[in-house]
Amino acid sequence: MHVKASVFLIFCGMLFAVSAQAEDKPVCLIAGWENPASVCVAHTKTIAATCYICHGPNGKSSGAIPALAGQDKAYLVTAMKDFKAGKRETTVMKKYAMGYTDSEYEALGEFFASIK
Amino acid sequence: MTMQRRDFLKFAGASLAGALASASAHAKPSSGRPHIVIVGAGFGGATCAKYIRMWDPTIKVTLIESNAQYFSCPMTNWVLGGLRTMEETVQSYKNLPGYGINMVHDTVIGVDTDKRSVTTKDGKKIAYDRLVLAPGIEFMTDLIEGYAEGEAAGKVLHAWKQGPTLATSQATLLKKQLEAMPDGGVFVIASPPPPGRCVSGPYERACMVAHYFKQHKPKSKIIMLDGHFDVVSKGPMFKKAWKKYYAGMIDHRPYNLVTKVDHKSMIVTSEFEDVKADVINIVPKQRAGAICKLAGVRADSAGVWCPVNGITYESPKVPFVHVLGDSVASNMPKSAHVSNNQAKICAAALVEMYNDREPNSYPIIGSTSYSATSDHTSGPIAVVMRYDPDKEAYIRQPGGGASEDSDEINFEYNKTWFDHIWADTFA
Ligand SMILES: Cc1cc2nc3c(=O)[nH]c(=O)nc-3n(C[C@H](O)[C@H](O)[C@H](O)COP(=O)(O)OP(=O)(O)OC[C@H]3O[C@@H](n4cnc5c(N)ncnc54)[C@H](O)[C@@H]3O)c2cc1C
Repeated sequence: MHVKASVFLIFCGMLFAVSAQAEDKPVCLIAGWENPASVCVAHTKTIAATCYICHGPNGKSSGAIPALAGQDKAYLVTAMKDFKAGKRETTVMKKYAMGYTDSEYEALGEFFASIK
Repeated sequence: MTMQRRDFLKFAGASLAGALASASAHAKPSSGRPHIVIVGAGFGGATCAKYIRMWDPTIKVTLIESNAQYFSCPMTNWVLGGLRTMEETVQSYKNLPGYGINMVHDTVIGVDTDKRSVTTKDGKKIAYDRLVLAPGIEFMTDLIEGYAEGEAAGKVLHAWKQGPTLATSQATLLKKQLEAMPDGGVFVIASPPPPGRCVSGPYERACMVAHYFKQHKPKSKIIMLDGHFDVVSKGPMFKKAWKKYYAGMIDHRPYNLVTKVDHKSMIVTSEFEDVKADVINIVPKQRAGAICKLAGVRADSAGVWCPVNGITYESPKVPFVHVLGDSVASNMPKSAHVSNNQAKICAAALVEMYNDREPNSYPIIGSTSYSATSDHTSGPIAVVMRYDPDKEAYIRQPGGGASEDSDEINFEYNKTWFDHIWADTFA
């Protein structure tokens, strides 16, 4: 596990002092790195928004590419795992499934399942 | 195991000490919520404006765009093939003000990066807390002798950028020239080596024009003068399609960078040969839009593209100026898909930071591109790139790549992709 012990972020004069200590602050992992929980919220909404380009804004499809919005979480997670394992026929989704982690499948599944 | 990644993340090229010293003074914008000014309402700029407002409606966003409508390049090859009309490629900006975006139709002609303001052609001066530049590309036509004269005479077209009106869009003009060309004519497409806008575009264009010729002027030929040593993208797929659908019609000549064109004799000259043409389509080498030069962010070693921080898309050279889309210097494809995706990463980083939260250091770019090979077949390429903050680079993940075949199902996906990216960016 990777831990960012003490990270000062300098953003053009904006100063953040973030201490991500597992004991006293909620942390989340992205690709093995520990982060404040807010980073994972932003990460999930941004990677979900990547899906919109093909699957439609908010995952609501108006065409041949399947909708993601309102799908069952377990269905979406299983689909990604099956794409990765080559158990399900795909054109581009295997390539995507291989670029994301299991915890990202879970986060995306939850995100899209919650869109009505 | 404990690993310390790094003690400091630098988001600005400004000296660290300087940034620290001025930190408290600039910690909050002077008057209330920040004002972000975005130049260029294409796939990069419009997406960024929309997502900043959706994710934090308290941030003020001004989006400045020269044209009254968006003239899409995606789908223009389909127009040349007779599959779609030019009207179908044009997108309206009417929905963007509904997100609380202040949409200004004007051209930015100056940037004062010290005082943080832009000036426009109509004489406006607009102050910003942060500036996002997404102007697309500019052509380096001076690298091709005779190009400017040929373009002025209407005989040499790039059709690699559209607008400012439907009638003057170069794809409209190219379509007309192809329609006026006699059967048995020669259409020359010349393309530069990468990096440049839409590297698979020239080959899709060859397919679409060949499709049109097959229906209407079957004795005609297409000569591709390719500045690269091979088909740059989706090579096996395009080569198969050329054989299967357009046997004998497309003559692809690699290693053939065009250096000169004479529109009077209609001769295109490459490093190796002279080719006589009836219709000339030359895509020149490109660089980041002119406004990037004025802002001082066209700062790669060749002074052509704009390096950015991969987390925020801020220029390491000029603080408070971010760059998106085709203008960015990177290992990512220069595509509408990537521009839209970069815009969301930049929007998310700005929203997090203007709410005193740490931006995400691990953004992911998903890049998908479909190309049509006929009026019923397309094929995709798909790649996932993950940002590694230690390497300060987007790393291509294993498993990505192009399909070797084009087919009907991907043609359907391709159609849906157009509708969805336009809706996601502009609707
Ligand atoms: C034939 C062809 C087919 C393509 N097909 C695809 C495809 O299928 N899929 C894909 O992903 N990509 C495709 N592309 C690539 C895609 O068009 C570009 O990558 C994309 O448009 C880049 O987006 P951008 O926001 O950087 O720039 P643009 O979309 O060019 O937008 C820039 C905007 O900025 C405005 N502007 C510039 N300077 C100023 C200024 N100073 N003041 C005010 N406004 C200004 C311009 O008017 C323009 O509207 C294709 C390209 C071509 C040529």
